[in-house]
Amino acid sequence: SGAAGPDRPQVVSHVQQALSYTVFDCKWVPRSARLLCLGSAARGTGLVQLYELHGARLELLREIEKPKPIKCGTFGATSLQQRYLATGDFDGNLNIWNLEAPEIPVYSVKGHKEIINSIDGVGGLGIGEGAPEIVTGSRDGTVKVWDPRQNDTPVANMEPVQGESKRDCWTVAFGNAYNQEERVVCAGYDNGDIKLFDLKTMSLRWETNIKNGVCSVEFDRKDINMNKLVATSLEGKFHVFDMRTQHPTKGFASVSEKAQKSTIWQVRHLPQNRDIFMTSGGSGSLHLWKYEYPAQRSKKDSEGSEMGVAGSVSLLQNVTLSTQPISSLDWSPDKKGLCVCGAFDQTVRVLIVTKLNKI
Amino acid sequence: MPVWLREHSWRQTLSAVHLSLPLRGARATPANIFCSEQYLKVSIPPFLFEAVLYAPIDDTNSTAKIGNGNIFFTLYKKEPAMWDSLTLANADKEKLQYLRENAVLKAQEKAKEETEAKKITKQEHKKYALEATMKLEEAERKRIEDLKEKERQKVTKELELWKNQQKDGDKYKSTQKKGELHQEIEPLKERKNEKMNKTMIPNEGTSKTRLKSTKGCHDSCSIFSQNLKEEQLPAPRAAATIKVNFTPRVFPTALRESRVAEEEEWLHKQAEARRIINSDLSELEDLKEEEKNPDWLKDKGNKMFAMGDYLGAVNAYNLAVRLNNKLPLLYLNRAACHLKLRNLHKAIEDSSKALELLTPPVPDNENARVKAHVRRGTAFCQLELYTEGLHDYEAALKIDPKNKNIEEDAEKIRHLIQGTMQSS
Repeated sequence: SGAAGPDRPQVVSHVQQALSYTVFDCKWVPRSARLLCLGSAARGTGLVQLYELHGARLELLREIEKPKPIKCGTFGATSLQQRYLATGDFDGNLNIWNLEAPEIPVYSVKGHKEIINSIDGVGGLGIGEGAPEIVTGSRDGTVKVWDPRQNDTPVANMEPVQGESKRDCWTVAFGNAYNQEERVVCAGYDNGDIKLFDLKTMSLRWETNIKNGVCSVEFDRKDINMNKLVATSLEGKFHVFDMRTQHPTKGFASVSEKAQKSTIWQVRHLPQNRDIFMTSGGSGSLHLWKYEYPAQRSKKDSEGSEMGVAGSVSLLQNVTLSTQPISSLDWSPDKKGLCVCGAFDQTVRVLIVTKLNKI
Repeated sequence: MPVWLREHSWRQTLSAVHLSLPLRGARATPANIFCSEQYLKVSIPPFLFEAVLYAPIDDTNSTAKIGNGNIFFTLYKKEPAMWDSLTLANADKEKLQYLRENAVLKAQEKAKEETEAKKITKQEHKKYALEATMKLEEAERKRIEDLKEKERQKVTKELELWKNQQKDGDKYKSTQKKGELHQEIEPLKERKNEKMNKTMIPNEGTSKTRLKSTKGCHDSCSIFSQNLKEEQLPAPRAAATIKVNFTPRVFPTALRESRVAEEEEWLHKQAEARRIINSDLSELEDLKEEEKNPDWLKDKGNKMFAMGDYLGAVNAYNLAVRLNNKLPLLYLNRAACHLKLRNLHKAIEDSSKALELLTPPVPDNENARVKAHVRRGTAFCQLELYTEGLHDYEAALKIDPKNKNIEEDAEKIRHLIQGTMQSS
C-alpha cells in the first residue's frame, strides 16, 4: 500500500498484536526493545501491559491492573536508571510507577477533577536540562505542572478565569527546555484554542485559535530553543508553526495542511530527525511528512518588526493499517524508524519505516 | 403479384453451374438474394425469381456476382454430375412450399450458429485477455511483496542484533539495579560512600554531558557524575497560577458541537427579516422617521407594556408588523399584550405565528420559544382548553427543563384535567 518508489520510505508492518482491551496509549521503554500498552479493560479497570519484541512477535512480560482506566503515560521525566512511568487516568489521578514494584505508586496525586487527557514529561532520560517535571491536561479545563519531589500541589496551574466556562484540554506538550530556567508548555483545547505558557515568567506567552478542536500538539524537540510546533485537529487538518520568530501581534508563522477528512489523532516527530513527523488518523491511516524550511526563516514587516516565514510540508508516504482510528503513536528513541501504534480496533502494531536515512 | 424473371440462361460443368439472370433494370444487393442447399430466390420487388434446383449445391461456397444489370451465379454442385435441367421439373406446389420453408429454416439455423460461434470466440478472447492482465498484476504485486519481505527480514535482523546488544547492557544494569533498589531511600551522601566502596560497575551513559551510549559493553562511567547531576537539579518551581480565557464564539458550543447548518440558517433568516420593508409606503408617508423603524416601534411597545398601556403597545406592534412581518419577537410580545387584554384567540394566533418564525430551533432562540409556548399555553387554559394548554407547557419544559414555574403550572393543569383540584 502507498507509493513504492525506489527511494521513498516504506512503512512495513512488523508485528501485530490483538489485545483484549481498549488501548489508549503505547510507549517504548527507553533503551530497550520493550513497549508498554496502557488502556482500559472491559470491566472498567486500568491496564498496563509490558511487551518485549522477539523476532516477529511480541511477548507479554507483565500485566498490571489498576482500579481506574489509564488514558496516557510518559517516561519523559524519569531518569534512565529508574525508568519510572507517569500515568494519567480517567479519574484525574497522576501516578508515577516503578514497573518492577508496581503495587504502590512512587508518587500519587488526585490532580484533576476529570479525566487527564494528555501527559508529558521533561527533564528526564538524560535529555535537556533543569528539573524533571510532568504536565497534565484535563477535561476540567486546567493544565497543571508537577514536580515529583513536591507532593500534592502542582508547581504551575493554568486554569480558567473565574466565571469563564471551561473548555476541555485535549493535549499538552513541553518545549524550549534548553537550559535550567527556560521551559514552556503548549496546550490545545477542544474549541481550537492553542495556548503557550512560559513557565519561567509564569505568563501566557502566545495564544491562537485554529477553529477545530486540537487533538495533539508537539514540539519537534523539547530540549532546544523552540523551533517548530505541530498542532493537529479535527477534520483532517494540521498546522506547523515556526517558533523561532514571534511577531508582536501576528504571533508565529504557520503552514497548514489538510491530510484527510477524518480527525488527526496524534503527531510524533522522529527522534532522530526533527523535520520528519508522522500523523495518525481517524481513518486508520498513518502519514509520514517532511518539513522544508524556506530560504529565509524571517523577514521584516512594514513597521520593521521581525516576523517568521513558514516553510512547506511534503508527504513522504502514507499507509492505511486499520479501519478504526489510530489513537496513539510512539517512535523508538533507540532504533531509527521503529515505531509502535495503538488503534481502537484493540490492536497494537509495531512498524518499521525504511529508508529514513536517505531523506 | 410479383413479376417473374424468366429470361435466365445457364451452363454447367461437372462440378458447377453457371447461371446468368438479367434484372430488367432493377438494382440488386446481396440482401435480395436468398440461397440454400436446393433453393435459390432473388426478390427485388416487384420482380421475383425462384428456382428449386435439380440437385443440392454447396451454398456456403457458391457465389453471386452482381453487375451490369445482371446477376451471375456460380453454384458448386454437392455431387459432381450433369444435371438434366436447372430446376426440378416435376416439382409440385407442395414440394415447392416444403423446400422453400426448409430452405428458410436452414438458413436461419445457419445464421444462428454463426452468431453463436462468433460470441463464443469473442468470450474466449476476452477471457484470455483478462487472464493475461491478471497474471501481469499478480506478478507486479508479488514483486512488491517480495521487496517488502526482504526489507522486513533485513530490519528484523538488525533489530535482533540491536536487541541483543541492549540485553547485554541490561544484564549489567539489572545486577546494579538490584543493589540500588533498597538504597534509593537512603540519603545521598551515604549512597555515594557505598558506591565508592563497590567496584566500578559499568553504567550506561546517563550524564548530561551527552555521551552517546555505545551499544554492547559500556565504558565505565564515573558514578560521581551521576550524583553530581542530582545535586545540580534546581529546586522545585515556586508554585504559581496563570489565568486563561477562552476564545468566545457567537454560539456557546464549539464548532464541532454546533449544528452549524441550522444556526447559519437562523442567522440568515434574522438578517433577511431585518432587511424587509413591506407594505405600502404611501400609507406610511405621514409617519415620522422613527415610526418607520420596526425596532424603535418594538421598543415603544415594550415600554408601554411595562407601564400597563396594553392597547398602546398593541398599536405599536401592529404598525411594526405592517412594516416588517418577519420579526418573531413582534408577534411574541403582541401575544403577551393580548393575554393581558384577554384577547385569547389573538394571543394564540400571535404565539403560533411567533413559533412559526422561530425555526429552525437553535439554542439562540430558546428563550423566545419557551415564552411563546408558555403564552399560548396560558391562553388555551384560560379558554378552558386544558389539554392543548398542557401540550404547550410540556413543550416549554422540553426546551427548558429546569424552570420551576413552568413545571408547577404544568402540574396544576394536569390536576385540573384529572379534575382533582378546583380551577387554578
